[in-house]
Amino acid sequence: METVEEEVEDQERFSYEQRLKAAVHYTVGCLCEEVASDQGVQFSRQTIAAISEVTFRQCENFAKDLEMFARHAKRSTINTEDVKLLARRSNSLQKYITEKNEEIAQFNIERKAKKKQRLEHENKDSAGPAEAGGGESEN
Amino acid sequence: MADSYISDNEPTTRTLLRRVLDTEDSRTPRRRQSTRAGAQRTLLETPFSMMLRSQTKTAARRHSYRRRSSGRLAHIKTSGYLKEQTPRTLLENILQTAPESSMVMPEPVVKPVPAPQVVQSPSQESSQGSLELQLPELKPPTSLAPSLLASGKRKQSLRLSAFQQGMDQELLLSQGPFTEPQGNATATSFTSSLNLTFATPFLPQSVQRPGLARRPPTRRPVDVGAFLKDVQDSVALALPGDSLKSPVATLPPDTVLEDTQPFSQPLTGHSPSVHHSLSCPPVSTERIVSSRTRSRRPGLQNNRKAEEVDALAMEFPNTGNSISGEDGLEPLQDGVDKEVEKTVQEILDLSEVKEAAGAQRSTRAEEPGRDTKVIEADGSWGATEAKEPKGSSQLDMDTTGRAGSSELASSTPEFLQARQLELLEPAPPTSTAVQQSIPGPSLSSEPLLARLPPRTRTTGPRLRQDPYKTGLSHYAKLFSFYAKMPVEKKALEMVEKCLDKYFQHLCDDLDIFSAHAGRKTVRLEDLELLMRRQGLVTDQVSLHVLVEQHLPLEYRQLLIPCAFSGNTVFPVQ
Repeated sequence: METVEEEVEDQERFSYEQRLKAAVHYTVGCLCEEVASDQGVQFSRQTIAAISEVTFRQCENFAKDLEMFARHAKRSTINTEDVKLLARRSNSLQKYITEKNEEIAQFNIERKAKKKQRLEHENKDSAGPAEAGGGESEN
Repeated sequence: MADSYISDNEPTTRTLLRRVLDTEDSRTPRRRQSTRAGAQRTLLETPFSMMLRSQTKTAARRHSYRRRSSGRLAHIKTSGYLKEQTPRTLLENILQTAPESSMVMPEPVVKPVPAPQVVQSPSQESSQGSLELQLPELKPPTSLAPSLLASGKRKQSLRLSAFQQGMDQELLLSQGPFTEPQGNATATSFTSSLNLTFATPFLPQSVQRPGLARRPPTRRPVDVGAFLKDVQDSVALALPGDSLKSPVATLPPDTVLEDTQPFSQPLTGHSPSVHHSLSCPPVSTERIVSSRTRSRRPGLQNNRKAEEVDALAMEFPNTGNSISGEDGLEPLQDGVDKEVEKTVQEILDLSEVKEAAGAQRSTRAEEPGRDTKVIEADGSWGATEAKEPKGSSQLDMDTTGRAGSSELASSTPEFLQARQLELLEPAPPTSTAVQQSIPGPSLSSEPLLARLPPRTRTTGPRLRQDPYKTGLSHYAKLFSFYAKMPVEKKALEMVEKCLDKYFQHLCDDLDIFSAHAGRKTVRLEDLELLMRRQGLVTDQVSLHVLVEQHLPLEYRQLLIPCAFSGNTVFPVQ
């Protein structure tokens, strides 16, 4: 009974994995087509398949590593720090990621600044009860 | 008649040994028998006992012994057996009853000479009756040789001579690491004293279990003269005195305790090349040493250690390797060091740290600055500058990054032993990891080889580099051993370089991991994470398993404390 359920689960997982792999394969194919058109080189099917397989496995590794890093830092959520740690090997990738990280951080800061401004506006414009309502809604 | 046995003048082996037994105080098991012998003595005291066949001798001897020394009851029983025993058993008795004394005494210098002679001609023992008293004290193993010879095993004597030959060779070898501050003058005395210290521990094993004895490994004698000359040069260089001198000096006594570490002296030569800008507290060296024995659980503090090891790692010949090394290190360093470098000086320091890979002969900071500017311009420079305004929270990462690369130099030798086994496993993945991380190792090979000759010319920088290089060469030798086929010299050099990069990378990772956890010291968890990334520790194989598999008990004890039975040995020996 349990084994049957487990088998069903396994099969589901397997099919899910297959679909994921297919998705990765498709994406890799698209990217390779772009590159081929840019560089003027052809990609054989085996190449695309190999790349997609490698990508898939590497994603698995990444996930495990990210989890290990997060646990190492005594956290239960994966952070951007973990991602940066993961990407430290490749110089360009690291740069790219840190740039993106900064962008996002700045974006967050801007959003927070906007929120604060809105809060201040609301506080100035509205009366006491509106303030309380706004404060509550914000909180 | 009975007395004739005792007073016979011909000094046979048996009689002499018997005399030894008589004069020696007996111990342990014989004592109980002695009391019984005393009882028997009273019974057989009558002259009637003289008539007895087997008892006559014992009784007569008892009479004589009583005349000689009444107090020696113990020998009565034992002497009863003497006539029936062979010299071998006599010697065994001697050994059991021999008083313990220090093996290393000034008089024993005489011993090795007569000992082999005793082996060959027992007739000479008569002249050395007095020496025989000392025989069991000082040279029980060699004294057993005659017994073995008597049993017809000629191999023992040969092994002894072969062993002594090997021992002499070993002495020459061990002179290097052991007699560092003493120089040539004390070498001979050390040799002679070493003669004995090594003899006793080694021989008993082979003698007691001849089947298990191994021939001592024949090693090529180290060119002690050249080495000592280098030592003196380094000492001369070290005279100017530098910040590193004191911290480095603490290393030799500790490293001597470990396996034959040749770093002990040459490290003193590091001082002149130390960067005065870097401060190196002596505490860090102890950590280095401690990390040697406990590489899994080192109490390293990267901040200070970095700079100090940085200085150590500095002194490498300026090779084109530095260029590629820079490139290789940049990906490693970049993520860590990117934020903080605001001043050029800081950046120069960074570059110096990066050169730890295999870098320049850095007498001063300008040289590294020159090279690093060229390299920095490549790519990461702009990124570094762009990221300058990042918070000081990255400062730790920077220093730890600095520590990472620089601690490699000194921690490399420390990691050598502990990671010996691990290195062999990841040897195949090593090359791939190295290739991944370093964009162009092929570029570095030619300029490196081109720069090698200038390195060997000057003794100063070579000495500074020596401990690091010797550690790598040690691994290279291991490599050539396990390759089971002759390895080219250039190939060995490449192997060394790869190992260099590999270790630096490892230490960088350790650094980063500890920083990632918000710590400044590398801990066991960091190492475990590293091993997990390497694939040595998996969900199936835990660190514990690896520790149990590979480490000797002493080290294993540190990591996995296990309870001993708490036995005591009786009698206390």
